[in-house]
Amino acid sequence: MQEISSLPEGQPKGLNNLRRRIREFSLIGRDPVLSISLIFSGIFIFVFVIFPLYRSIVGGFFNSDGAWDVTYFARYFDNYYGPGLRRAFTDTMLMGLMTATAGTLVGFIFAYAIVRCNIPGKKYVHWLALVPTVSPPFALALSMILLFGRSGLISNKLLGIEFVQGANDIYGLDGLVIVQTITFFSVSYLILRAMLERLNPAMEEAAASLGAGRFYLFRTVTLPLLIPGLAGSFLLLFVESLADLGNPLFIAGNKMVLSAQIFLAVIGEYNYQKASALSFVLIVPTLIIFLIQRYYVNRRTYISVTGKPAGSQIQEKDPLIRWTVNSIAYLIIAFIILLYLTIVYGSFSTAWGVNFAPTLRHWEMTVTRGVEAILDTTFLSAISTPVAAILGMVIAWLVVRKKFTGKDMLDFSSNLGGAVPGTILGIGFVMAFNKPPIALAIGIYTLLAIFFVQIVGKKVSDRIIMLIFGTAIGVALTRVESVMMYYILGGTFILIGLMLLIIQRKVFKPTVAIALGVYLMANNWADAIGKPIASYSRTLPRGFFSNAIFQFSDYIKVLIQPTPALLAIILIFAGALLLQGTKGRVWQITLGIMALAIPCALSFTGVPYAMVGGAYIIMAAFIVRSLPASVRSGVASLQQIDPSIEEASNILGADAQYTFRKVTLPLILPALLAGLIFSFTRHMTSLSAIIFLISAKWRIVTASILSEWEQGGVSIAAAYSTVIIVIVLIAIFLLNLLINRLFKGRGSVDMSQGF
Amino acid sequence: MYLSLVNLSKTFQARGGIKEVKAVIDVNLEIEKGELVTLLGPSGCGKTTTLRMIAGFEFPSEGQIILDGMEINSLPPHKRDMSMVFQSYAIFPHLNVFENIAYGLNVQHLSKKEITTRADKVLELVHLEGYGQRAPTQLSGGQQQRVALARALIMEPKVLLMDEPLSNLDAKLREEMRTEIRRIQKEMNITSVYVTHDQIEAMTLSDRIVVMNLGKIEQVGSPLEMYRFPNSRFVADFIGRANFVAATVLEQSGNDLTITALGKTLTLKNVRRQFARQESVTLIVRPEMVRIKKDGELFSGTVRRAAYLGDVIEYDVEIGGELITGIETDPYVMEMFPEGLAVSIGFAEGCIQVLPAAK
Repeated sequence: MQEISSLPEGQPKGLNNLRRRIREFSLIGRDPVLSISLIFSGIFIFVFVIFPLYRSIVGGFFNSDGAWDVTYFARYFDNYYGPGLRRAFTDTMLMGLMTATAGTLVGFIFAYAIVRCNIPGKKYVHWLALVPTVSPPFALALSMILLFGRSGLISNKLLGIEFVQGANDIYGLDGLVIVQTITFFSVSYLILRAMLERLNPAMEEAAASLGAGRFYLFRTVTLPLLIPGLAGSFLLLFVESLADLGNPLFIAGNKMVLSAQIFLAVIGEYNYQKASALSFVLIVPTLIIFLIQRYYVNRRTYISVTGKPAGSQIQEKDPLIRWTVNSIAYLIIAFIILLYLTIVYGSFSTAWGVNFAPTLRHWEMTVTRGVEAILDTTFLSAISTPVAAILGMVIAWLVVRKKFTGKDMLDFSSNLGGAVPGTILGIGFVMAFNKPPIALAIGIYTLLAIFFVQIVGKKVSDRIIMLIFGTAIGVALTRVESVMMYYILGGTFILIGLMLLIIQRKVFKPTVAIALGVYLMANNWADAIGKPIASYSRTLPRGFFSNAIFQFSDYIKVLIQPTPALLAIILIFAGALLLQGTKGRVWQITLGIMALAIPCALSFTGVPYAMVGGAYIIMAAFIVRSLPASVRSGVASLQQIDPSIEEASNILGADAQYTFRKVTLPLILPALLAGLIFSFTRHMTSLSAIIFLISAKWRIVTASILSEWEQGGVSIAAAYSTVIIVIVLIAIFLLNLLINRLFKGRGSVDMSQGF
Repeated sequence: MYLSLVNLSKTFQARGGIKEVKAVIDVNLEIEKGELVTLLGPSGCGKTTTLRMIAGFEFPSEGQIILDGMEINSLPPHKRDMSMVFQSYAIFPHLNVFENIAYGLNVQHLSKKEITTRADKVLELVHLEGYGQRAPTQLSGGQQQRVALARALIMEPKVLLMDEPLSNLDAKLREEMRTEIRRIQKEMNITSVYVTHDQIEAMTLSDRIVVMNLGKIEQVGSPLEMYRFPNSRFVADFIGRANFVAATVLEQSGNDLTITALGKTLTLKNVRRQFARQESVTLIVRPEMVRIKKDGELFSGTVRRAAYLGDVIEYDVEIGGELITGIETDPYVMEMFPEGLAVSIGFAEGCIQVLPAAK
């Protein structure tokens, strides 16, 4: 092929580029389902990732009056606040460096032990190495304190060490780094294991046949090939360490790190400007590393991580090395097991440090007082999980299979949600959705309305009519009192359904429309349904069931009363799909106006997107945090499907939708289900992102652990931690069972993609 | 003209560090109904890109694709009424053989009875009767290839596209399959476009061959046309083997061209082109046009290499510093000239293609 860098003559470059971009979008635009996927993903990412991050980062520069104010940045350089702030910064970086180094080292040891040292009990070592990923963020810190703290089982009772603050205690950077290393090394292990497995043994064999001794070979062949993995894992761990909130709050002692400073600025001082300024300081190194990771390290990978493992693995032959590595791995595993057993035992002990006799007292309290938090967390996690997994797969498919302007931006932003420290995102959510600007709602509605009329109307004049009248009626409806409005909206949808039945004589679309109408009306019946359940719960003796059933009535409300602005988005898409292909200009326009007015009213009723304090904002935070894992897992599984397979389906007459349903989906289902596991785990163990979003109505267990700890309820904190661990393990077990039953080993799941 | 490519070009835009690539440049081709045309050329010549544009997987930067009188540029692949056999076969791994073959008909929501009838017929056509319930993982490469073919044929498409379908098979299987493909294509009379880099495949299967190089069409013609009358060194070298002998024109009368080459003068017959006196030309001398005898021929040379290949005896002979490859095809000749022997060489004067030296 000829490579030249100039275009055929007479074609201005910019115009050609523009034509190409337009054509890319029109190719997508021809398929409504595809367009909806793209628009929905784009809106979701914009509203819940980009917008909050923007507010969070920019918030540090403006005071509450809206004036430019860099006080909190200037403080880094003055004499009063400066030293403390700078020390916190350097301590944070130091913590990150040490954790990254230690974590990568430990991860490498495990990877080497499993891949090359044939460690006995490989399967168990593997799963135990992954246990820290399913536990709440500070379970291990808690456990370390139980063992090595002031009244620690080992430090005090067994070894009788006298507690001297700052000198020989577990608090401070040393303890923090140990805890973080254990917490995060799993990621490093998975990455390095994947790399080692895919290392082509032929390369090392070739080196050996050329006379390279073992250490020389390792230094000059193996290690360089592993450097992208080592670098990648180092950078990843560095970022995770910086973002960690839970462990520092427990075990940092006198040392202050940035994530804790941010937390205290919000919870302690209620000073969002300061919190944002500190977030900005935290996010700069994070983003730099994220970019280095993506664009430098990933490009230099010589081992294909998406391919299959190399057939045979080189085994470590020297018994000394082999058993040193294996022993270290076993020791760490034993330590991990000890830590988790401590948590479990801690929940049963009467008063840790004083009276170790087992009791069920704390569990009774947990189950009665704490059931609200436990159920809330599980419920919200569970509902968010399928959304995160599906959205992740949709974005993965768009990124892998389609070409369009802004694709890289979509890919990058979807990863951003999990890459930035959770506290920054949490602050962003509060600042963005407490008093969101009306411009946000207007912008989104306009985009969706234009999309809608493009699909439903055929002529430009029709579209304009639909747009104007639909919007006008919708806005007028917002003036109507809420209960009445929902009846009108619901009724309108039912009417649309009936009219569709008359025109088309097919049953499916009208049924959907009527169902949506009833759903809208149900908004008014939430109380009617919930009250009897709540009353019933109050008749029960106070305990687990009474609380549980009371919570249940709340959940029904969540499901029936979604945030109006979000519901509006769904309804515009639904309306577009329902009315697409309607014949008859008059019908198109009439139904179009009706179907547009409904989401319009919902978009502007009340204060659009004011979600703080509700359930939906917590779910949005969950989804944003676990989305990167779903996307990456989706991308990996899609890349393993030969694109010719989808092309084959296309040329046989199937459009993109049919192809996705009948060909792609069955092939990626294992990865999709695995994505469910990752997502649920991530949701259940979230802390930093949602700590600022909890309210009296919606409690999250990880936050409860924190508050119990602060009040001295060590055993209850341990009990909560155990509950989370157990729930997550059950979920993993069940989903694994499902995968194995459905697929009988077909389709391997790459666990390292979960990070 | 059933399928026409008019001024077809494809330029891949520069993206993220990769320069802009002109993959297909101004391709013009007319394909008749029922014809099998092969796009032949080395890797990177643009043949696959051209095929993919016909299929609809790539959008032409310029030009039109016209099928049965209608321009189909903006038609997506699933609306083009074409079928394709992919190099990797692209068998759906989660469906069995029958479901794979029936896939396209299921998209059209045909009745189960009709689908089964047609599937059985096409399974018979590709000699896979009884394999309907097998899973793709249980099939050999050749069987997978036949499933891919069956899946494409059952659609009774307007055009059948094949992208190097045989390149993943071993030599023997390739031979069998290419005759099969040709037989089926002729039987069903489907217009077909075939892409390959294997010139023997092209010669066996095609009604016409299109040789492509660096995005452009070099020459179009029947196998005989391409072999005996290549219009460039590239084509002469790509299809079959050729000795390129430099020569100078002495004079031409009608189709007889008198030239000097390798120190001797000879008159070539059946020369289609007209040349000027003293013009430098290149003679395309195929190995089978070289007569190597003990004596009695025009040129004198020495045997540098001799190989007994069974069906032919192959020689490299040196004539005045130039190495010429020739083959002895007469089965009665069983004696091989040894290396170093002085021999006498002649050319089949009436068969040699002459090109201007620049080509």
